Amino acid sequence: MKKLLALLLSTLLVVSVMAPIAMAADDGFVDGKFTDTRTITVEIFDRNTEGSVVDDNVFTDYIKENMLNEYNVEVVFQTTPRWTEGDDIANYLAAGTASDISYTYNDGAIHTYFQQDAVLDLQPLLDEYKDYLTDLYDFLGSNMTWKTDPYTGQTECIVARRMNVARINTFVRKDWLDKLGLAVPTTTQEFEDMLYAFRDNAELLLGDEADKMIPYSMTDDVGWRANNILYSFVPDEYTTDKYNFIYNDDRQFLLPGVKEGVRMLNKWYNDGLILQDFSLYAAGDATEYNLLKAGYVGAVEVNWDDVYRNAEESVHYMLQQSQGEDAVFIAVDPFKNDAGITKKVNYSSNDRWIFFPSTNTEPLASLLYLNWMAKFENRFFLQTGVEGINHEYTEDGTLKAIPPEAGRYKMSSSNNIDTTMIINGLDLGDVDKTAASMALGYAYVAPEFIKTAFAAALNNGVSYGNINLGAIAAEEGIKTVLADKRDVVLNVSINASVEDFDAVWDSGMADYMASGGQAILDERMAKYEAAFGE
Amino acid sequence: MLAETRMQKAAKRYKTRMYLKRYWMLYAMLLIPLVYFIIFKYVPMTYIQVAFKKFSITKSAWEMEWAKNSGLEYFIKAFSNRDFLYAVRNTLMLNALGLVFGFPAPILLAIVLNELPYRRFKRITQTVAYMPHFLSWIIISGLALQLLATRFGLVNIVLRNMGLEPIQFLDKPANWVWTYVFLGVWQSVGWNTIIYLAALTGINPELYEAAAVDGASRLRKIWHITLPGLRSTIVILLILSLGQIIGSEFDRPYALTNTLVTSVSNVLSIFVYNYGIKGTQQSLATAVGFFQSVIGVIFLVNANLIARRFDERGLW
Repeated sequence: MKKLLALLLSTLLVVSVMAPIAMAADDGFVDGKFTDTRTITVEIFDRNTEGSVVDDNVFTDYIKENMLNEYNVEVVFQTTPRWTEGDDIANYLAAGTASDISYTYNDGAIHTYFQQDAVLDLQPLLDEYKDYLTDLYDFLGSNMTWKTDPYTGQTECIVARRMNVARINTFVRKDWLDKLGLAVPTTTQEFEDMLYAFRDNAELLLGDEADKMIPYSMTDDVGWRANNILYSFVPDEYTTDKYNFIYNDDRQFLLPGVKEGVRMLNKWYNDGLILQDFSLYAAGDATEYNLLKAGYVGAVEVNWDDVYRNAEESVHYMLQQSQGEDAVFIAVDPFKNDAGITKKVNYSSNDRWIFFPSTNTEPLASLLYLNWMAKFENRFFLQTGVEGINHEYTEDGTLKAIPPEAGRYKMSSSNNIDTTMIINGLDLGDVDKTAASMALGYAYVAPEFIKTAFAAALNNGVSYGNINLGAIAAEEGIKTVLADKRDVVLNVSINASVEDFDAVWDSGMADYMASGGQAILDERMAKYEAAFGE
Repeated sequence: MLAETRMQKAAKRYKTRMYLKRYWMLYAMLLIPLVYFIIFKYVPMTYIQVAFKKFSITKSAWEMEWAKNSGLEYFIKAFSNRDFLYAVRNTLMLNALGLVFGFPAPILLAIVLNELPYRRFKRITQTVAYMPHFLSWIIISGLALQLLATRFGLVNIVLRNMGLEPIQFLDKPANWVWTYVFLGVWQSVGWNTIIYLAALTGINPELYEAAAVDGASRLRKIWHITLPGLRSTIVILLILSLGQIIGSEFDRPYALTNTLVTSVSNVLSIFVYNYGIKGTQQSLATAVGFFQSVIGVIFLVNANLIARRFDERGLW
């Protein structure tokens, strides 16, 4: 009796384990369509945009309708708050409620959960269904294998594509240059001279408020807010994919030469050129940003279009309101490296990380969803909406977005970035057309400013390719800690006196390296040499 | 003999039955908090074993594999980590300073308030003093930045206009420690006064009257009547604070810190957050939390022992 029961139970167990796999096989998939309706859940970021419902609007209806008609797949959207998504993903996976198609910007988390069997290996599925996924492969290209482990052949996630790789720009106050009779700076020396000129002519530039003069402003995120400056100190031969792989850091902090760049910032700081309290203001701090809007700041480095974003809230608009029409920031590109080139880091072509949790029982339907999204006509509609409601064409044929205030036609994110998970950034199928259209997309900002900024951001830009040699074991659990330490080293060094600079930098670096930085460097170096030789 | 004990036993059983019949409702009511503690305190406590196991999101704590070095891997990892040792030092330093300055402050305030003859003024002062307790540390850190920043902080603008040198309250580690301690006292002093004021109302007024007849001055009365009257309250609160000497709040250091002062502001809770939560090393975080609890209990028990040796009642 006992034996019988045991046999029965184990059979039941095997059957229940096999069940999802049995369903996943495509015997219900005939001529490109399921014979019975399948249901998949799809994650969608929610940014709490006023005037729209992120999972119930014209665009989500379009997806649902087409997926049902074309493949007999019913799509159910599940929202995740954009600003806490990194933590929420962990909770969903632990509770077994993660969407069948999930995405996140936290690739470290995917790797951790993949190792804990909470995330599917996509490779067998991609191999089996490759024939149905031609659009996806065409559009994503090498992003399909971005995270494929070269040793195990496993694919934890596929990687969305970033269309616009412009990253960071240097902005200066055009009206201040004019007032002082200065030309737009074209070298690091001219830029420095300009900052000194701002400092020494505070009375002329700011009048009664001369004591508020800030020639150069930044926050404690120095690696970002001085990225183009620091990268210009990196010798040209080190600006390749190889050294990006070995000295890997998303602020390029470990590359040779950066120390000398920081030394210059240290000198600037001690000469009163940089906002004195910059370290007290965390990235995104409104106070620091308000200083730009109030007109006290002469130069900054921020996201390539940052000062023009957000219409009435933009730095551009507010500055003109408080300081007059002439008060504008323009993008400049003065920082040349040892080869005389204004190299700067652009984004790579990777964006969000898309993965299937191990609770996904409809891998084929899920992959078909991604493939459907990759088709140009679908992407185009979702990004641009309906003509006359979401966009119109100017006389020269440029597409101009006219976002509705509210209602079912309002996109809950710009270009529906959250709905179109495989793409970030407008794509009209033609680079020039897209750029022209983008330049029209900023309220209260003349298109020339955007064109200048876009060109400056891309000029001599380095868009790193992907060198994938598998997960770096030494990075596990320590990457975020090291990122914090990096910020500490940068801030403390710039705040040091000129005489102490070397001692402060060296002790900070020693701590960084001892805390895991050296181990990562060694492992990356060894992996690179093993794969490509010296 | 035998019959007798049997009868005794029967009598005892009867007594118990009658007792239960009479008081079962009290026990039933006791069950509610008991169930609460079991479900929300003791059952989660079984997850302490995560500190000794390799964490997995898909498995329950019982199914996870044991960590290396007979389960002690994460303790070894923590104790060999310099950041952890600094965090222990900073936690002890900030908590000790908090205790030295923060513990007597409400006692003094309570005594001063108690001595005030004008009752309305006393009430208003008391209310004003405990208001900061309701502000979150995020708000306080925002206030601190607006008031104390070197360039654009209000305090330093005033100092500069008076021709004085500005003070770097927040960006020099030594200054930051004092700012941190002071803000803590400011935030909690009023609230902690309440319990002392309650204890003060329990002191027999006849004692004061008798002392007045004997010609005792105000300070003498405070020394000989008020303070002894508060003694047991002070001791109990001191024992409780000592139990938290290595515990650390998260929001206060996290909100007040900046990249220039991490050498003194990284306390254990920050360490747990950085390595455990952000770095997804859940086992390490649990190990550190477990360590904190054990040290806390040791301090608590010893403080209680010492208090009892000095003839105080202690906690138990």
